[in-house]
Amino acid sequence: MSALPVDCSRYREPAVYSKNDGRLMNKPADAPREHAVEIRFGQVGLVQLRLHTTDPGSILDELTGRTATAPHFFERTAACLDLSLLAKPPSVEEIRAVVEIVRRAGMLSVGLAQGGASDALAQELEMPVFSHIRAPNKPVPVVQAPPAVQAAPAPEPALPALMQHQPVRSGQRVYARNRDLIVIATVAAGAEVMADGCVHIYGPLRGRVMAGVHGDTEARVFCQAFNAELVSISGVFRVFETIPADLAGVPVQAWLAGDDLRFSKIGE
Amino acid sequence: MTEIIVVTSGKGGVGKTTTSASLACGLARRGKKVAVIDFDIGLRNLDLIMGCERRVVYDFVNVIQAECTLRQALIKDKRLDTLYVLAASQTRDKEALSSEGVRRVFDELTADGFDFIICDSPAGIEKGAHLAMYFADRAVVVVNPEVSSVRDSDRILGLLSSKTLRAEQGNGQVKEHLLLTRYSPKRVATGEMMSVGDVKEILGLDVVGVVPESVDVLAASNAGIPVILNENSDVSRAYEDAVARLLGETVPLRFVDEPKKGLFARMFGG
Repeated sequence: MSALPVDCSRYREPAVYSKNDGRLMNKPADAPREHAVEIRFGQVGLVQLRLHTTDPGSILDELTGRTATAPHFFERTAACLDLSLLAKPPSVEEIRAVVEIVRRAGMLSVGLAQGGASDALAQELEMPVFSHIRAPNKPVPVVQAPPAVQAAPAPEPALPALMQHQPVRSGQRVYARNRDLIVIATVAAGAEVMADGCVHIYGPLRGRVMAGVHGDTEARVFCQAFNAELVSISGVFRVFETIPADLAGVPVQAWLAGDDLRFSKIGE
Repeated sequence: MTEIIVVTSGKGGVGKTTTSASLACGLARRGKKVAVIDFDIGLRNLDLIMGCERRVVYDFVNVIQAECTLRQALIKDKRLDTLYVLAASQTRDKEALSSEGVRRVFDELTADGFDFIICDSPAGIEKGAHLAMYFADRAVVVVNPEVSSVRDSDRILGLLSSKTLRAEQGNGQVKEHLLLTRYSPKRVATGEMMSVGDVKEILGLDVVGVVPESVDVLAASNAGIPVILNENSDVSRAYEDAVARLLGETVPLRFVDEPKKGLFARMFGG
């Protein structure tokens, strides 16, 4: 878990400054140590706990459920608390309670992830702040959809939507120029459906979907069973290596809010 | 009326040639006049599976390039009177095929009163595969219950709906059938293999046959006897069912559930 990504067989003593003359020199491995402490940098694996709540009971339930599948894997593992998803900034007491709960679940909280009120909290708790932790899978924020923007009062006579009745198979592309696209069949993995306007898919969506391909930022994607590989609106895209559990297979819409692609379940 | 059926899959090694040979035999055994053509130019195999490899004098490419007549190149099967094999060339490459040449062969077979022309497609989506499907009325898409085969079959289904004569002329769709091969109900039950239902759902097609995984297939290939002619094999029964369904009969699916072990089999680990 906390193994350093260092190839020990080829490890060489790093260059150090000699205390006496300040010159950079290589120091043989068997030379007597002159320092009380050495500072080294390395990368360690760290469990990240993204808190959706600070309620100790639900956190403990969730953690013990997860760690039960691999108890030794999580035993005394260093954990970093990510508070960025909490609805409101937590208090110091709340975080102390979380630290205690995490310890009871077998892991050790060693710091806070940067963001939100972490800096102030970390000072109080005497914990380090970890900056820029790379999250391999950015969580998809599932939020309430704002109402679609009102249409312009005198719209140009629009083309009727392009209707696709046949399944869009792997390797096929369907493009609706200057209009919406409606697919009444499956969009298979490896297929691409695109429109200058919105894209509506009434079969399972397993391929790629692009709306507003010529820059219409108001275009949206609507689908009946979301399992997309990629969703793009006006060039802003997201790849789905894994489908977020709360979106998989359910009706979903996607839209653009500024530079951010948003997703929500339809019918909630 | 001659019907052209392409047996295709995209992926290699899923059982296209085995299926072509068995469907052709099955149809011929029901009295249909059948020609089965190997489109895999340069890698010919159908003649081996049909057990006529030593009787190939002229091949498909010879006919297309007018180096012999069709009648000279058609090899009459020794077991079934109404079955003929047109072998691929082993020495040429796929560029030797031409669209006009293939059409001429099909026209001639139609004029000769053939009921079915079975086209054994090569793997891939290049010229050989394209020409094998181009004139087809129906397609049997052979798929193994695993993700890469299903993905490739989906690609082929896309080509069938766009890159065929019927699609180009707007002359109705090529009728598509799904045939699962190497199906192992036991492995489906343990979750190692996709089920018939999974494959059907992803590809959105009805199943014309489910052929169980069996050692009989390899034995039949080695012997040069299409596996459908091995009356003791489940594979033969499965192909026979597929032939019946191709001819419009309604036959319940077999070999999709794990056989229940009897008391004795359970006691003695049979």
